[in-house]
Amino acid sequence: MNNNKYHIKLYLVSSLVLLLVISSCKEKEEKYHSIIDKIEVESNDYHGISTSSGNYLEDLKLIEITEGEHTFLIPERKGKIKSYSCTECHTESLKELKKHKNFKKAHWDIKLIHANKNTMNCATCHSGNDMDNLKSLTNKKIDFNKSYKLCMQCHTTEFKDWKGGAHGKRLGGWANPRASNSCVDCHNPHKPGFETRFPSWFNTKTAEERK
Amino acid sequence: MSKIGDFFKLNLNDSKDSQGCGCGSTSGGCGSHKQSQSQHTNISDDEFDAAVEASFQEESKKDGFDQVFDVKMNRRTAFKKLTASLLIGAGAVSTSCSVIAGDETKEKSQIDWEEQFKGNYKLMNDDEKKETVTRLARSYELRTGKTVNISSENAEEDVLFGYAFNISKCKGYMDCVTACVEENNQDRNSEMQYIRIHEMEDGKGLNFDEADDNYYHEVPAEGHFYMGTQCFHCDNPPCVEVCPVKATWQEDDGIVVIDYDWCIGCRYCMAACPYDGRRFNWSNPEIPEEEVNKEQHYLGNRLRKKGVMEKCTFCIQRSRKGKNPACVDACPTGARIFGNLLDPKSTIRWVLENKKVFRLKEDLGTEPKFWYFMD
Repeated sequence: MNNNKYHIKLYLVSSLVLLLVISSCKEKEEKYHSIIDKIEVESNDYHGISTSSGNYLEDLKLIEITEGEHTFLIPERKGKIKSYSCTECHTESLKELKKHKNFKKAHWDIKLIHANKNTMNCATCHSGNDMDNLKSLTNKKIDFNKSYKLCMQCHTTEFKDWKGGAHGKRLGGWANPRASNSCVDCHNPHKPGFETRFPSWFNTKTAEERK
Repeated sequence: MSKIGDFFKLNLNDSKDSQGCGCGSTSGGCGSHKQSQSQHTNISDDEFDAAVEASFQEESKKDGFDQVFDVKMNRRTAFKKLTASLLIGAGAVSTSCSVIAGDETKEKSQIDWEEQFKGNYKLMNDDEKKETVTRLARSYELRTGKTVNISSENAEEDVLFGYAFNISKCKGYMDCVTACVEENNQDRNSEMQYIRIHEMEDGKGLNFDEADDNYYHEVPAEGHFYMGTQCFHCDNPPCVEVCPVKATWQEDDGIVVIDYDWCIGCRYCMAACPYDGRRFNWSNPEIPEEEVNKEQHYLGNRLRKKGVMEKCTFCIQRSRKGKNPACVDACPTGARIFGNLLDPKSTIRWVLENKKVFRLKEDLGTEPKFWYFMD
């Protein structure tokens, strides 16, 4: 009998403690467990937004491309090449050109610092017969405006990242329509590596403080 | 009394030659000097301690206003205090009602008056927000003759800003830092910068202790990689939690902002931030007039003053208009990716879903909306 009473008391006390713990819990009641949860739930009923980045692209000459499930804008290229179209000078094919004696070497300033000689030379991308277009490894025509198709033959992971948006600078704004730089807008195709240079900022105050 | 005793007791009983009294005046005009002197000489140590304790208790019951106003004072001190406060009010009233003062001076003091007594931006309705930005823009015009465009644009629904940083791509050029300073009107004197680029040695992991964030040599340096930090706009921001006056909060689009006019400069948020994301204006910020970015937002790059906190706002004046933040725009390598986390088709979402991303000090539970990844 006594034992029973003791048990009841114990139950009462423990339930009271439990109740107190629950009711006095100061922890804020978070709606989501993590930011990833929040993003997943809240983007379920995403209906699009009115903000647009179109205004910031007005001055740029862009072309729309679709690669897989991604459709976006890239800068037009032909207008940026100084001596395009090539046939304005190259009235005959390279083969014919070589027949001339004492011909002056054009494009002498272009040195190919891109992969090694076993992998590529001028003719890997340029065609001696059709200079206004690029050519693929299997001799298929590639438009200068879509030169990324040339790069993607080797750089497959970069191409995948670029399509998705992890590689390549975004132009204008974050909202739609999306415009991203194409490969050749950041990389010189003949020398694609970024050069070393001095940083554009140095904090003299911090340097002084840390002396 | 022993010598050591003298040391600790501060000779409170021998205060015959002391000049001070309760009113803080040394001229002896408050009338309590004689009495207090005789009291000091007559009471014992115990009595004195008891009296001190009693006065402390009385004080601890009072708070705020009471501590200032509910005090015993004689006529002279009361008049002194009254006059001082009246002078402040009268100054404002006289300039605004004066016949001699010009219209501009009047308008200026009217603006100053209204700005002084405005509320917290977070609690304002849209009209009040518009009014305060109009006042601030007009005030700037009256002072400098130049016009600024201060926006009070609110967060848009279905937008949650997020940021990704490609460690493989950053070359340490710091073009982002320069662009940020120019865009956000940071103090040029103290060379304040929101972004830091850390130069880290390959093979040593993310070692911030040994990283250099103020280098000046050709970059990228052999055997090093670069990693940028700034405000991460945490979804569970500790800086917001600690602010005693609610001058900083998270907007609906996830941007952690500061009301520079509500901030009291206690710097609790600076101490609470585990990422060194916040900066303090130790002096009056100075920017050459021709370098001031005139496109501003109340919560963003409008001009700050001495004694307030500031930090990266994801360039709220740009991002709320659909533009990329200045750092994203300036980065020549495309290492910086910014976008809407709620748009399943955005590039930032693609990065989160397809790259191996991580965040700094994830274990703290701060939930930064700033992810790092590598190629």
